[in-house]
Amino acid sequence: MKDTMKALVFVAALLAGAGAQAKTIKMEVNGLVCAFCAQGIEKKLKSMAPTQAVFVSLEHRVVAVSLKDGQDIADEVLVSQLKDAGYDVRSIARVDESLEKIRADTKAKR
Amino acid sequence: MRKAALLLAFAMPWAANAKPIAFADGWTVMAESGTNTMREAQVFYAPTYWWSGGLSATKLIADDKSMEREMAGVQVNYLVKRWNLPAAQGNVFAWGGLASARGFDAEGTFSGVATARYGAQADYETRRIYASAKTDWSQSSRFTHGVTTVQLGVAPFEHDYEDLAVWFVLQARRYTGGILPGETEVVPMLRLFKGNFWIEGGVDRNRRAQVMVMMNF
Repeated sequence: MKDTMKALVFVAALLAGAGAQAKTIKMEVNGLVCAFCAQGIEKKLKSMAPTQAVFVSLEHRVVAVSLKDGQDIADEVLVSQLKDAGYDVRSIARVDESLEKIRADTKAKR
Repeated sequence: MRKAALLLAFAMPWAANAKPIAFADGWTVMAESGTNTMREAQVFYAPTYWWSGGLSATKLIADDKSMEREMAGVQVNYLVKRWNLPAAQGNVFAWGGLASARGFDAEGTFSGVATARYGAQADYETRRIYASAKTDWSQSSRFTHGVTTVQLGVAPFEHDYEDLAVWFVLQARRYTGGILPGETEVVPMLRLFKGNFWIEGGVDRNRRAQVMVMMNF
């Protein structure tokens, strides 16, 4: 009985984790070569209401957006926003890492 | 407006050879002092990443001081083509505008001369190398001249967004229309930029300074 309860709690935790909304969206972007590129992207994404914070790494060609609680931005909208800023998104993924962790990991890889 | 633009051009001893469009919904302010022959200031607003419009003021002084031309007017810049590569970007820009010119030459003084201004720029950059070629022309009933500039740059290290970017740039520039006949100005420069601020400067073999400052916001 005790083992069954443990298993149920474990499964419930897993389900809760899977159901939780990813708070960070990570994109690989082509054309990121200078601070002005990053500045334009940052300005564009920060103007969106669901955006909590933005991180841009020229070295890793990464643009990451963290979202406010309970809010989301569709992938197509982000791709379109980056296109409107003059850049091309190569890949987009929702990750459970925080923006701060992505920032720290990116800097550690340098 | 013309006086204000000219004041901006000549009060700030600096100018422009960077991109005429920085990013969508962004302002670009550029000013340049090109050795003893050119002063230029420009203010552009870009509603999108592919076009911008604003004010441009330029003063050109012949090497032998036999003529001066001051032009102030409006200009529209257009991104003809952009290549976004994994670790590089290439661009082709074109621009055109109308200006009012004044100054003096061998025939005497002139003012209020309608002048067409047009040009183009191609550039390619990674985080380690930079190359650009730009040609800028002015044409009126009184004069025609062109300023053609080539820049090649190398960064000693790859910078990231929050870093200070350092570049060594070699600039070569030729003027037509009697401004600097038969001579190519060559200026080795140091370029620094961080965040939204860019400055570059150098000295040619005749110890004439070239300075450019740009800000985007």
